Amino acid sequence: MRMPRALELLYLKPLRREAEFGVPSCDLQMRSYSVRNLEFFCDFALRAAYYLGLPAFGPVPLPRITERWTVPKSTFIYKKSQENFERVTMRRLIQIRDGHPETVQVWLAFLQKHAYYGIGMKANVWEFSGLEVGKAMDENVKEVSELLEDKWAHLGHKRSLEGIENVDEFLVSERVKVSGGR
Amino acid sequence: MSLFQRAKKFDLGCFANIKTIRDHTKRKAFEAAEPERQALRYIIRNTTLPARTRAIAQLQLTQMHCYTRPTQIKNRCILGGKGKGILRDFKMSRYNFRLQALEGNLPGVKKASW
Repeated sequence: MRMPRALELLYLKPLRREAEFGVPSCDLQMRSYSVRNLEFFCDFALRAAYYLGLPAFGPVPLPRITERWTVPKSTFIYKKSQENFERVTMRRLIQIRDGHPETVQVWLAFLQKHAYYGIGMKANVWEFSGLEVGKAMDENVKEVSELLEDKWAHLGHKRSLEGIENVDEFLVSERVKVSGGR
Repeated sequence: MSLFQRAKKFDLGCFANIKTIRDHTKRKAFEAAEPERQALRYIIRNTTLPARTRAIAQLQLTQMHCYTRPTQIKNRCILGGKGKGILRDFKMSRYNFRLQALEGNLPGVKKASW
């Protein structure tokens, strides 16, 4: 008796789509301290990419990051007996090529929704647009700046000095503040 | 320096003694005064401004409370409040770090041998 196809596929290597042009559209880097979780989640991400119709490449094992700390086991006079600790971060890279930006977003959102414990993800996404991008970006800035205005209010001066003439006024107000109104 | 108004709320979950509370106050004070400090520093370094203005700015910067200086801020252990031998990655003193690491409370940290 045979298992259903969908079930049988789980025991095989993840299927992949062919990339027609090979233009990278997303680099997903995953990091973890445990290889097992990382391998599992890479597999999951590749399968998700296949079923979304995204050509995925990888997982590429990136160099491991090893951090080491040496601490004395006890007080300073016993400085000669120390202990070493280390933390090794494993990394994997999955690249999506020829993906539609929206599909890539769906894929990333799906991975985030089913995020696995002990795994960090970060993605670089590239989008391509037509000529005269500058004009489109200028229009976008207007929309975005409205959204950002209340965020900017949290940063720095509430009002700028607006020119050299106002420096004296600022200093006077500062003097009052520093001296406590005296 | 004890006359300085302490922050109303101690919004940290770490070990609390007077040293950590004071450090917290300093961080708050620095955060509140940073724009002023930067403006004064800018005026002092701006050679296009008249010398008198710059001198006044210098005086005012030195007259600001010492708690508003970034150099007053010191990293302290979150488990014991110790001020020396702090590992920046874990915000812990070296001994507390060792205890926590051996207990397995720090993700990914293991005893190393190579």
